[in-house]
Amino acid sequence: MTGNETLAPLDNSSGSNAGPLSVSGSKVTDQGVNPRKKFETISLAALLLIAFGLPLVMRSPTYLHIVILIYFYAYLTSSWNMVGGFAGVLPLGHSVFIGVGAYTSTILSLQYGISPWIGMLVGGVLSMGIGVLIGLPTFKMRGAYFALATIAFAEGMRVMVENLDFLGPFNLNGPRGLQIPPLNFGFLNFMFKGKEPYYYIILIMLIGVLVLTWIISRSKLGYYLNAGGEEPEAAMALGVNVARAKLIAMAMSSFLTALAGTFYAQFSLFIHPKSIISLDLSFEIAFIALIGGRGSIAGPLLGALLLRPVSDFSRIYFGDVFPGLHLVIFGVILILVMIYQPRGIQEPLTRAYNRFIDRLSKEEQAKEVS
Amino acid sequence: MDKKIFWKRCMSTLAVTVGLTLTLPGAPLLAADKVVKIGNIIPLSGPSATVGEQGKNAREMAVAEINAAGGIASLGGAKLELVYADSESKPEKGVGEAERLINTEKVNVLTGCWNSSVTYPTTAVAERYGVPFLVPVSVADKITEQGFKNVFRIAAKDSWWTRDQFSFIKDMSAEFNTEIKKLAFVYENGDWGQGIAGNWVKLAKAAGYEVVLNEPYPSTTTDLSPVVQKIKRSRPDVLMMVSNAADAILLTNTLAEYRVRLKALISSGGGHADPSFIQAAGKSARYLFDIVEWETDVNKPGAREANEKYKKQYGQNLTGEAVDAYLAMYIIKDALERAASLDPEKIRQALADTQLSDGPGMIVGYDKVVFDEKGQNKEASLVMVQINDIGNGLERITVWPKSARRVGYTPVFPKP
Repeated sequence: MTGNETLAPLDNSSGSNAGPLSVSGSKVTDQGVNPRKKFETISLAALLLIAFGLPLVMRSPTYLHIVILIYFYAYLTSSWNMVGGFAGVLPLGHSVFIGVGAYTSTILSLQYGISPWIGMLVGGVLSMGIGVLIGLPTFKMRGAYFALATIAFAEGMRVMVENLDFLGPFNLNGPRGLQIPPLNFGFLNFMFKGKEPYYYIILIMLIGVLVLTWIISRSKLGYYLNAGGEEPEAAMALGVNVARAKLIAMAMSSFLTALAGTFYAQFSLFIHPKSIISLDLSFEIAFIALIGGRGSIAGPLLGALLLRPVSDFSRIYFGDVFPGLHLVIFGVILILVMIYQPRGIQEPLTRAYNRFIDRLSKEEQAKEVS
Repeated sequence: MDKKIFWKRCMSTLAVTVGLTLTLPGAPLLAADKVVKIGNIIPLSGPSATVGEQGKNAREMAVAEINAAGGIASLGGAKLELVYADSESKPEKGVGEAERLINTEKVNVLTGCWNSSVTYPTTAVAERYGVPFLVPVSVADKITEQGFKNVFRIAAKDSWWTRDQFSFIKDMSAEFNTEIKKLAFVYENGDWGQGIAGNWVKLAKAAGYEVVLNEPYPSTTTDLSPVVQKIKRSRPDVLMMVSNAADAILLTNTLAEYRVRLKALISSGGGHADPSFIQAAGKSARYLFDIVEWETDVNKPGAREANEKYKKQYGQNLTGEAVDAYLAMYIIKDALERAASLDPEKIRQALADTQLSDGPGMIVGYDKVVFDEKGQNKEASLVMVQINDIGNGLERITVWPKSARRVGYTPVFPKP
């Protein structure tokens, strides 16, 4: 199974269109030389350098804030992607896990003085348990039913939190939400005066989740998920335990999503059910994935890079002239991408990139010949 | 080769990341001379958009008046400039916009945000940068209890609404010699309703009333007859309510349908204060008491004229929220005149020293704006109105406090 190089598990497409990435990838091996690798190593290093150096250049907290939110959404969507992309189902209730992460770490730090970093892990584990519990009965459902079940669960949780002031000894504070007083700054308290520390934390989290996604995509699990998502019957007939693979993906996804919840709580210092366990948030994650390209590594990042600035800047520039226009713009982009690039913007972008690389390697070959 | 795919994918993603982030506009616009920038974070889209729109209109009307009258004299006739940011009623958007208004737009003063959930984290941003933040309306008590130096609120806070409702019950039962013993609380189960009901329970206990029903309901409900049945069975003297728009109408009509007999119905603004409420509930709404910040029949010089002007420009009556936003601009003007500087600390100090008692902005029901050490307007007060038909169709008539009562009107209490 792992030897089948052309079956790229990340490209959740059918047969003929088995992924532009893998096709062009083999082209390079045919040529035998490796200008691509050289080029990519250099530019990856350069890009990492730029990403890490960005706060030194971009001094304005406004834009840093926007970039942090871009990374935050890219991270969330990448976590979602493990289930929503690879496993081929459409979960629309991921805000539950964000909520679990945010509430767990916030309650632990407010009531018991436990560092949010520890709360982050506790929240992650708790969220993983919930994810598995949701997954057990619902992964047997197909298509819309799975999506509906996850929506129902998320909404149920929101209503519950809104109506509970106390869950046992834990103060949820119902619909009023929890506010973290900005008093104890410092790394241990996961609270900083400037934006830069938040930037680096979310950047490292994002790189981590992207690397993890890449590892999964090359692992047996990735192929299992892909097979189960495409043709569950065929996969099961071949002895693939589809349900188990999906559950593992769900556990990882819910764990990672909860970490983002803690980040959000510490970044905005205020959480309440309507903003953090809302369907809006769940849908936004799904939109970013759909626009960027579900089931690809780059998709969530590309989606966030396109949609977040569009949403932010259209709100900034049109918000007061024509209230609500930015939501219309957002919707129009969504429709256009869905019509012309149903597999997300990652596809044409990768194609363009490959053409560029091919030309580059040809030039290099020509140089060598001469 | 898989490695290559990985590199390639990483590269393409990173390339786009960096490309996009670098193209973001970086240079803030330099503020032109003689302009004072006021940043306003309000919900211009989303569920609270109508309130945001009213606030925006009122601010514009006030600023147009101030600028036409010569701007800020002590700053060489500087004009006020409004900059808006849409919060969509979402806390994280409000925070982002506050960062932008402060760092990029370089506003001198901030106002907003109506939704208490947006106001909490947003005022924290202003506090961090030391930018004065004037809150026209956001009723949650907590906003002025965060220990912030730069936050000032004009409107009465949550606990005052409930306090005044209970004073009203006491005053009315004394004035009309009617005994009130049993109370029933019915409220929407959101932040607002639960906050108010929590205060009610405490106040009822302190005043020795018996609470016979304490019932939250989801404001999206389509059937309130079970709730009304409970009200009927518990036989309260007074029913106190917190409702949003549609459920206020539903609740009132269902109560009429079941012929629940009560001495008084007291609501808490919101849905009951919405202009559509009287139209939709009609006769069922008669004799209801509602608590509000401001009513068009308020007995203050200039109030009628301001309302006429607003109605002509924007096609609606002024509301309590709009009046506070209107007043906010005049408070800022007053503070700027005294500060005679754009230094944030000087503006903050001037706001803290506010003693505003006259001028076009003072069309509110009370006589003076003075902030206490926490930044809460000490003088803010509320009025009770009764919905009744005294020959001109159903209208809202101010009845309490007695000093503000419409001349010649006797409240109907208890409900016939």
